[in-house]
Amino acid sequence: MSFKKIEILERTLERERKARKAAEKILEEKSLELYNTSITLKKVNQQLENLLNEKTIQLQGVFENINDAYVVMDLFGNVLRMNDVAETLFGYDIGKESLNVTDLIYPEDYSYAMSSYKKLKEKGSFLDYTARIITKNNSVRWVQINSSIIYNKNKTPIGAQGVVRDITEIKILEEQKETILKELKNSNQELQEYAHIVSHDLKSPLRSINALISWIKSDNEGKLDDITLQNFDLIDTTLETMEKLISNILEYSSAGADTQKKEEVDLNKVLQNLKKVLFIPENIKISVLTPLPTIQGDFTKFQQLFQNFISNAIKFCDKENGIVEIDCREESKFYQFSIKDNGIGIEQKYHDKIFEVFHSLQKREDSSGIGLSIVKKIIDLYEGEIWLESQLNKGTTFYFTIKKN
Amino acid sequence: MKGIIFTEFLDLVEDKFGIEMVDTIISQSNLKSEGIYTAIGTYNFSEMLQLLQNLSNNTNISIDDLLLVYAEHFFSVIETSYPGLLATYKDPIEMLSSIENHIHVEVRKIYPEAKLPTFIVESKTEDSLEMIYKSSRAMHHFGLGLMNKTFEHFNSTATIVLEKIKEDGTEVRFIINKN
Repeated sequence: MSFKKIEILERTLERERKARKAAEKILEEKSLELYNTSITLKKVNQQLENLLNEKTIQLQGVFENINDAYVVMDLFGNVLRMNDVAETLFGYDIGKESLNVTDLIYPEDYSYAMSSYKKLKEKGSFLDYTARIITKNNSVRWVQINSSIIYNKNKTPIGAQGVVRDITEIKILEEQKETILKELKNSNQELQEYAHIVSHDLKSPLRSINALISWIKSDNEGKLDDITLQNFDLIDTTLETMEKLISNILEYSSAGADTQKKEEVDLNKVLQNLKKVLFIPENIKISVLTPLPTIQGDFTKFQQLFQNFISNAIKFCDKENGIVEIDCREESKFYQFSIKDNGIGIEQKYHDKIFEVFHSLQKREDSSGIGLSIVKKIIDLYEGEIWLESQLNKGTTFYFTIKKN
Repeated sequence: MKGIIFTEFLDLVEDKFGIEMVDTIISQSNLKSEGIYTAIGTYNFSEMLQLLQNLSNNTNISIDDLLLVYAEHFFSVIETSYPGLLATYKDPIEMLSSIENHIHVEVRKIYPEAKLPTFIVESKTEDSLEMIYKSSRAMHHFGLGLMNKTFEHFNSTATIVLEKIKEDGTEVRFIINKN
């Protein structure tokens, strides 16, 4: 072999060797890179697995713990999975028998069920489907169902899931409530009519007694002694008190009745009107401190309300210069009114009792003890509250609220 | 440029012209790699140009003809190394027209930094194809060789006309008609 040839071969060999080393180095780097990548992948994989595991446990928990029935079905309505609540509700054990949701439909609700199913397929979900189902033992239950389509990762529908709430008890309660409300309305109506009749019937014997007494008096004019005449006068007064009592009962029985009247009531006009109607003694000054609002309601009832407060204030005024001040403050959800007087005041221990019917603190012939209970009824009607601040001998301030419409 | 292009090229040179020729063209060229190539490495394209130029000088064969022969040799490398890729095609026209959208996409998966030529299909029928080749390397004859072998692979032949759009060969039209 020539020297030149040997040199060429040596150079070739040298290049081959260096190429091999270069290749080894590249491969080593690549394999390190691969190793690192695979470690990272393993870690990520583990994290994903943990996450999946966690989510599966959470879902399983939801599936088992929700109070409602949970059902998973295929696109043809065949139930694939359901929780214990569902098994109890429907009465089927899908481990032993197959169940299609159409088996549960109550015949009368069939077309509603089909239109809801159509909506589910078109829109992917429906809410608050409320209908009856027939369970395995042929009992009928009211249910409310929320349902949605389950898609695979390619967004192709593969089934549906539904949460089924048994609302049978609620339905029954609702029906009961309706009936009771109706009954209540009727008996309220009857009671009012009854009160009306009773008071009317009670008044006529009173009038007869009154007439009889005046006849006795005129028939025996000059024959009766002073004491007898005095007793007759007492009978007259008592009759008057009785008449007033009966009138007030009538008023009270109609005070709480919602007349459904909704008119714009300008309370300033109510007050102006009252000032004309009420007898206001010279020594008492009634002032309205702020312009009053116009609110929706029944004019007569608002008049009754303020009339009772003002006439009470007048009645129980023992001062030389009596003051009655009416004020109002607007809050976000209600108006707060106040009626302040400088009268005799009310002891703390009576603050609750005064709103009870027939509870008059003073035996007076012009006080039946009904006024404030009427006030309370009207305020209840307008979803308001009433309370008071009072100091004996110094005066009383009543506060009440009326809900804004 | 990928190392396999160099190693296969030098193997072919050795095969056709002997080991002395390999040594000669390496010594005559000014190579950063010093002629040490491994299939998995990456080397500067200018080294291939020098090797081709020196081989052309020493053999009096044109660079284009050298590239043509080299491409025909290189196709067999593809056949052995990537039989799966070829198996996805039933027809040479189909295969050539999808160089840009399929083959090069696959190549990039293996060699992300590869600098590939662009092949734009201008018109295509069942039996004919017109494509524009664009590459700063001007290795259109390498493409031509691969095309010839593609038809051979599918047991057919074609007449392929090459029209230079740019004089330096960086933009060339291939007019392919199946025989």
